[in-house]
Amino acid sequence: MNDMRKIERDVDMNDVKISAKGVQVYYGTTHAIKDVDVLIQDKTVTAFIGPSGCGKSTFLRCLNRMNDTIDICRVTGDIRIDGDDIYDKRVDPVQLRAKVGMVFQKPNPFPKSIYDNVAYGPRIHGMAKNKADLDEIVERALRRGAIWDEVKDRLDAPGTGLSGGQQQRLCIARAVATEPEVLLMDEPCSALDPIATGQVEELIDELRNDYSVVIVTHSMQQAARVSQKTAFFHLGNLVEYGETGQIFTNPQDPRTESYISGKIG
Amino acid sequence: MTDTNMDGPATPQRKNSLMAPDARTKQRNAAEARFKAYGIIAILIGVFFLVVLAASILRNGLPAFTQTVVELEFTLTEEQYNDAESKVLKTAAYKEFLVTAFRENLSERGVEVPFDESAIDRIVGQAGNTLRTYFRANEDQLGQPVTFSLGASSRVDGYFKGRVTREDLSNSRFLNAEDLDIVDVLADVGIMKQQFNWTFVTGKDAGVDNPGGAGIGASVIGSFFMMLVVLMLALPIGVAASIYLEEFAPKNRWTDLIEVNISNLAAVPSIVFGILGLAVFIQLAGLPQSAPLVGGLVLTLMTLPTIIISTRASLKAVPPSIRSAALGVGASKMQSVFHHVLPLAMPGILTGTIIGLAQALGETAPLLLIGMVGFVAREYPDGIVSGFTDANSAMPAQIYTWAARADQAFYEKAWGGIIVLLVFLLAMNVLAIILRRRFERRW
Ligand SMILES: Nc1ncnc2c1ncn2[C@@H]1O[C@H](COP(=O)(O)OP(=O)(O)O)[C@@H](O)[C@H]1O
Ligand SMILES: [Mg+2]
Repeated sequence: MNDMRKIERDVDMNDVKISAKGVQVYYGTTHAIKDVDVLIQDKTVTAFIGPSGCGKSTFLRCLNRMNDTIDICRVTGDIRIDGDDIYDKRVDPVQLRAKVGMVFQKPNPFPKSIYDNVAYGPRIHGMAKNKADLDEIVERALRRGAIWDEVKDRLDAPGTGLSGGQQQRLCIARAVATEPEVLLMDEPCSALDPIATGQVEELIDELRNDYSVVIVTHSMQQAARVSQKTAFFHLGNLVEYGETGQIFTNPQDPRTESYISGKIG
Repeated sequence: MTDTNMDGPATPQRKNSLMAPDARTKQRNAAEARFKAYGIIAILIGVFFLVVLAASILRNGLPAFTQTVVELEFTLTEEQYNDAESKVLKTAAYKEFLVTAFRENLSERGVEVPFDESAIDRIVGQAGNTLRTYFRANEDQLGQPVTFSLGASSRVDGYFKGRVTREDLSNSRFLNAEDLDIVDVLADVGIMKQQFNWTFVTGKDAGVDNPGGAGIGASVIGSFFMMLVVLMLALPIGVAASIYLEEFAPKNRWTDLIEVNISNLAAVPSIVFGILGLAVFIQLAGLPQSAPLVGGLVLTLMTLPTIIISTRASLKAVPPSIRSAALGVGASKMQSVFHHVLPLAMPGILTGTIIGLAQALGETAPLLLIGMVGFVAREYPDGIVSGFTDANSAMPAQIYTWAARADQAFYEKAWGGIIVLLVFLLAMNVLAIILRRRFERRW
C-alpha cells in the first residue's frame, strides 16, 4: 500500500467539468443508479470503484449518452458538462460523443489499418483539411497514446494485429484524436498484463494535463495510483466521493471501509 | 454411472498410472471413435449419391452437346438456281440437286449405295429448305463450292449415340434398316460425323418434330434477364430492410410481427408466389405474359426473405464492440453501420444473396404459372428492353418442357440442359467464393 502515499495529490482547485444531480438509471424495472450526485473536475483523474454490478459502467455511460443505444435503458436527472444539460432535447448525442471520448474494457480497434483507426474520428468530424493535416493529427494522437514509437513503421498494418496492450493504447489514441474534453475509460486495463497496465496508467497520468479523465476500475491499487478523486459505488448508490487519499486512508462510510479492506465485493 | 471423483478434492482413489487409460477413458475414447465412424459413413453416403448423380447427369446429358452432321461440298450453278426457283415445289428441286451431288460424291469415292430422295428425307431431314434459305440469302455464292453441315435426323443421331438400334427400326416409317446401311457407309467415308453442337448451346427451342434444332441459348438469356431483375431488386431492398430492422427499428410488437412474417415467407411454396405474380403483375398490373421482367418480380418476392434472413444473421454476427467503438468516437448510427458494420457483414450478405439467386435460378413452378414455359423461347430478344419484356422462357422451364416431350432426343436435351444449368450454378458459387475472399477481414 506504498502506492497510496507515494502520490501527493494535487489540491483540487480545478473547475467543475461535469456536474450530475439526482441521476437515476433504470434498465426496464431494474433500478441501476439511485439518485447519484457528483461533481467531476477538469484536469483531474476521477476513479469509480465498487463491487461489480454496482453501476459504475452504467453511470459512466450516462456521461456520453452511450446508454441511449440500450433500448430498455432510461436515464433521469440532470447531467451538465460545462453547464450544458447533455440530456437536453437540443443536444445531439453524436456531437456530445466527439467531445466526451470513451475507451472500452475490451480493446476494440476497427478491423482496419492502424492509421485508419486513428484517422477515422478526425475524418468524420472534418478535422483535417488535407492529407498532411490528417497525418499530423494521427501522429500526435499516437504519440499521446504512447504507442507512436512502436507502430510508426507499420501504420498500414491492421490494428487488430497488435498485442492487447498495444491495442488498448491504440484505442486511447483513437479516442484522443478527436480532441475530446473528457475521456471516459471503463476498466481499460482489465484485459492487460501488468506491464501493459503500467504503460496505460502512466499514459492516463499524462492525459490529466489536457483532459478530465474518468476511469472505472475494479483494482483499488490502480485507483490509488492514478486518480486524484475517487467515487465508491455500492448497489447503485454513490456511497462516498472525495480525495483519493482520503477515501483509502480514512473512509467515512463503513461500506467503503469494508470494501477497501476486502470484506465486500 | 456416477462420478464420485467429480466433486470434492481428489482422493487417494486415483492411484492408476497415466501409462494405461482407465475404464472410463477407454469408454469415452470408444464413443468418440464410434462417432467419427458414423460421420465418415455419413459423408461416404453423401459422396456416393453425389457421384452417382454427377455420373448419370454426364452420361445422359453429354450426348446433347454433340450432333451428327452430314458434311458435303456442294456447288449450285446459276441455271440450277433459276430453274429451281421457277418450279412449284421449290425445296424439292433443291433436294434433287443435293441427292445428285451426293451420288456424284459417293461414286467418285467408288462407293455404291442406293441413295434416293426419300432416303435423304429420312436421314438428313429438311435439307432442301436449308439449301434454299442459304442461297436466297447469299446469291453471290452461286457457282462457288460451299461446304454444308446438315444436321442428321434425330434417329440417325440416336443411332450414332447408341440410343437407336437396328432392332428398334424393324417397323419404323421414319427410318429403316437399309437407311442405316447408307448411314454406315457415309460415316465410313467421312461424310457423316459427330461434331460439337453449338446449336444446342446457343439456339432457341424448336418444334416437337425437330429436336436437332433445339437449343437452350434463348432460355439462358431469359434466365439471365430474370436474375438481373432479382439482383437489382432483391439485393437493395433486402439489405435495406435488414439494416433497418436490425440496427434502427425499435423492438416492439410491430417489428416482432414483421420478423415472424418474413421468416414465414421464406417457407411459402414457390408456386404460391407464381399464382400471386399471375394475379398481381399480369392480370392486375397488366405486365406482359411470359416476360422475364414478371418472372424476375416473382422470383424477387421469393428471394427477398432468404436475403433478409441471411443479411440479418450476418449483421447480428458483427461484434457489438465495433458499433460501440464507432459511436464512441462520435460516429452517427448510420456512419457506424455503413463504415464498419456493413463491410464486416458483407461476406455473409453475399453468401446469402448468391444462395437466394441460385434458388431463384433453379425455380420452375412459378414460371410455368406466369407462362414462361419452354416452347415460348422461340426468338432471341432484340435488345435490353425486349430482353426484359419479350416472351421468353428460363432454363429450368425449358428443361421441364423438353423432358415432357415424346421424342427420346428431347430427353437427351433435358439432361444436357441440366448440365448447362449446373455450370451456371457452379459459376455463381465460384463468384461468391471470390467475392467473399475479397471482403473477408479479421476482427
Ligand atoms: N444492458 C443492460 N441491460 C440490463 N441490465 C443491465 C445492463 N447493463 C447493466 N445492467 C444492470 O445494471 C447493473 C449495473 O451494471 P454495471 O453498470 O455494468 O455494473 P458495473 O460496471 O459496476 O460492474 C447490474 O445489475 C446489471 O445487471
Ligand atoms: Mg462494468
